[in-house]
Amino acid sequence: MAVQPPERELETLDLYINVGPQHPATHGVFRMVLTVDGEVVEDCDPVIGYMHRGNEKLPENCDYRQIIGYHDRTDYLAQFNTEWTYCLAVEKLMGLEVPERAEYIRVILGELNRIASHLMFMGAFGTDVGFFGTSFMYTFRERETIQDFFEAVTGERMMYNYFRPGGVAWDVPDDFEEHARYVLDRVRTAIDDIDGIMTENEVFLARCRGLSPVTPEQAINWGFSGPMLRATGVKHDLRRAEPYSIYDRFDFEIPVGTQGDVYDRYLVRLEEMRQSIRIVDQALRQMPKNGPIMASGLKRTIRVPPGEVYARTESPRGEYGVYIVSKGGDKPWRHKVRAASFCNLSALRNMVVGNYVADAIIILGSIDIVLCEVDR
Amino acid sequence: MLGILRALGTVVSAALRKPATVQYPTEKKQLPHRARGFPTLLWDFERDEPFCTGCQVCARYCPTDCMTVTMRDNPKYAEGKSPRRKIVDKFFIDYARCMRCDICVEVCNFDAIVMDNTWRSVELSRYDRQELVMDLDALLKPSRTGQLKDPFRDAMGVAHHGWAPRKAEEEKEKVAAAEE
Amino acid sequence: MIGNNPWLDGILRLLVVAVAVPLSVIVLNYLERKVIGRVQNRLGPMRVGPYGTLQSVADTIKLLTKEDVRPSTADQWSFELAPYVVVVPTIVALVTVPIMPDLFIRNLGLGLFFIVAVSTVPIVGFVMAGWGSDNRYALLGAMRSAAQLISYEVPLILAVVAVAMVAHTADGGRGTLNLTEIVDGQDKVPYIFWQSLAFFIFTVAGLAELYRHPFDIPVAESEVVGGPFVEYSGMRWAMFQLGEYVSLVLISLLGALVFLGGWNWPLVNELAERNAVAGTALQAVLMLGKTSFFILFFFLMRAAMPRLRVDQLMAFSWQVLLPLSFYQIIVNGLVVVYGWPDVVLGVLSGLGLLAGSALTYRAVRKPTMVRRPRPVAARQGSEVKV
Repeated sequence: MAVQPPERELETLDLYINVGPQHPATHGVFRMVLTVDGEVVEDCDPVIGYMHRGNEKLPENCDYRQIIGYHDRTDYLAQFNTEWTYCLAVEKLMGLEVPERAEYIRVILGELNRIASHLMFMGAFGTDVGFFGTSFMYTFRERETIQDFFEAVTGERMMYNYFRPGGVAWDVPDDFEEHARYVLDRVRTAIDDIDGIMTENEVFLARCRGLSPVTPEQAINWGFSGPMLRATGVKHDLRRAEPYSIYDRFDFEIPVGTQGDVYDRYLVRLEEMRQSIRIVDQALRQMPKNGPIMASGLKRTIRVPPGEVYARTESPRGEYGVYIVSKGGDKPWRHKVRAASFCNLSALRNMVVGNYVADAIIILGSIDIVLCEVDR
Repeated sequence: MLGILRALGTVVSAALRKPATVQYPTEKKQLPHRARGFPTLLWDFERDEPFCTGCQVCARYCPTDCMTVTMRDNPKYAEGKSPRRKIVDKFFIDYARCMRCDICVEVCNFDAIVMDNTWRSVELSRYDRQELVMDLDALLKPSRTGQLKDPFRDAMGVAHHGWAPRKAEEEKEKVAAAEE
Repeated sequence: MIGNNPWLDGILRLLVVAVAVPLSVIVLNYLERKVIGRVQNRLGPMRVGPYGTLQSVADTIKLLTKEDVRPSTADQWSFELAPYVVVVPTIVALVTVPIMPDLFIRNLGLGLFFIVAVSTVPIVGFVMAGWGSDNRYALLGAMRSAAQLISYEVPLILAVVAVAMVAHTADGGRGTLNLTEIVDGQDKVPYIFWQSLAFFIFTVAGLAELYRHPFDIPVAESEVVGGPFVEYSGMRWAMFQLGEYVSLVLISLLGALVFLGGWNWPLVNELAERNAVAGTALQAVLMLGKTSFFILFFFLMRAAMPRLRVDQLMAFSWQVLLPLSFYQIIVNGLVVVYGWPDVVLGVLSGLGLLAGSALTYRAVRKPTMVRRPRPVAARQGSEVKV
């Protein structure tokens, strides 16, 4: 008969560690109160709301062209994808048909923005794991190239305000295709660099392999979407499941993980970047040389017929949805944003409890949150 | 150890590339033609007055409400020197509020406002926030002094309802009619 | 002996070290930032002075003129003495390290022993710093750093002692702790070829001793911000950094001397017979090159490696490095006792290294801790606890 050691002989107190709003590891102003027993996290209490700016209420006073700027600022790493979702919603409601050339421009810019967002994830995630800024510099070098390309097309490096319901605002410059191919070459170098220092690195594997594995049932129950869901093994991508725009014309694969742990999420995002390069390549070849870039028959102020619509797209973080209720007129009655990061972040407690403090930071980093989306 | 050796190899090969630093402010990146700085007004050199007539369309469409515009009767119209009946009287843009969304350029009826695509309009550090409220003279200065050489004024698709595309259409039709 | 006067001789040599040490720290600080900048595809410091060479000087001036902030609840003695306890032993350890054949302060017969003994004293300094700061994060950092340093001190010492066991002495025997003799015994083949396993253990344990990536959890910037140094500012913090760079120089010199052949390999004796000046020059160049090799390797590791977690770090030391170093000592002992030639040493050591790599590879591919899912109770409301 084995003698059972007494459970907790020593009287120990749990420590409250405040991973506060200002901290180099939380991506934005996010607060996590961890209850820690030694090094193991017993409980985690996330506090959000530091970045709430009224992103759903203020557009009720804006007309449909002014709301595009709000979507830029909701997810500031994947602006084209958010603008696209909003434009899809308005186009569905109005029954607009977007011309071919505009669709191709949207696809190219949206996929390049996906690459830029994943590059930012690689940089920040590497810093969380402990690289001394190397991953950051490699990925930001190519993010600069992509942003320079966007600056040549739209004029801005970050808040583009370029898509409009019905098409895009103005046409692309003449050297669009060769500039895009140059950008793709540079991005391939960056992906190879990141692959070289992170994927096979034994220390990286030791930190991330097997950390907080998530089963497909858990992922669906917790409301995951995007790379978090695909890392668990569920092959769900809105570009395949409900093809919006012209995604049914492109040939690309959907990378899926096996265990749903942090390493799988990193691998899924790395592979997604490569698939995005494929899509951009095909789009550049198929794009029509001339053509209108805006649906015809539109006035300066768009008046939307009464109705409601929910449109969703696959943003780099997951499913980004826009729900608009219109009662006629040029301003929406209700404008709601379904942000991917908010739903992914709500499962933080389940994933963090039972792990070490150092791992809590890595798990938070692997969800790839953007606080502006979470708080809106 | 292979992964660590591969990481070291990547790091060393990256070290041998040319660094990507642009040493601002001694070297400055070349801004593209469409670079979006802050809005400025254009000066009509033919008639020696601003293009802007003070119609307030841009102020109404501005999402952040950063413009204040008033108009007055144009004395040059009475003298027959200019086709503009009204001309802008006061024009204030608060650069601290402007979010450079380009909507004012898109909706202007007279192609009077453009985004300044030079470095000058981006290097706007001031000690006092009030100095960022630009009045009519400050807004006309880049165009009048010739610093604004090549603003982005291509036709902005159907969304653009400006005067210039209509004029360009009329010119084209006139030329086509003259050729026949 | 300079001037045939032991006092003058000692004071002059000490002055040379006192000047050379801060100078080398300044140069190393600048070089590190430049090298890491180049690795990250950027330029590093460029503005202060031509190509940024005066950047470290500017940093030193800034640190000297900074306000000396001291937490009011800090333990006076512990807090204030900690920087000295960390820095002084490291500089003292440089007393017996010979840079050139007769460029040292005192060549002790027990050179290696002295160095190893003295370089364990800074551990106490780190704990003093963390405890005296009266700060939760500092305490966490200090405990982690003490654990890490102690557990990596053992393989480091064993690796170096293993080499000392089989080092060829001046009179043809084996086993010496005198650094000059160890270097003199390497004129044909440096010990890295015969003792590759000890070299590997020395490098890895050296990384851990210096708080370099991948072992820099005590000073992890993105978690426990700063570790035991978090409450120090100005010159006190600069002293900690000084200690770090001086240990870097110490470990690099030690590695170059003990494993890479110091000034004695290759081809030095042949050249010295022909031309004494050229021989000395070659010695200087070789010494500089070998130390720089180590230093550059440490810089690159900082750029290319993430950070290990505390339990993984400790597991690696006690479960991988320590058995390997025991194996190395047993092999060396057998060679010394039975008088086998050096080649046997090299072969057995290499086999040990392969076995160590295989062990590490296997350990890394599967997670070290099985995370049993804990039932997470549902929350009632959400009160924010502070």
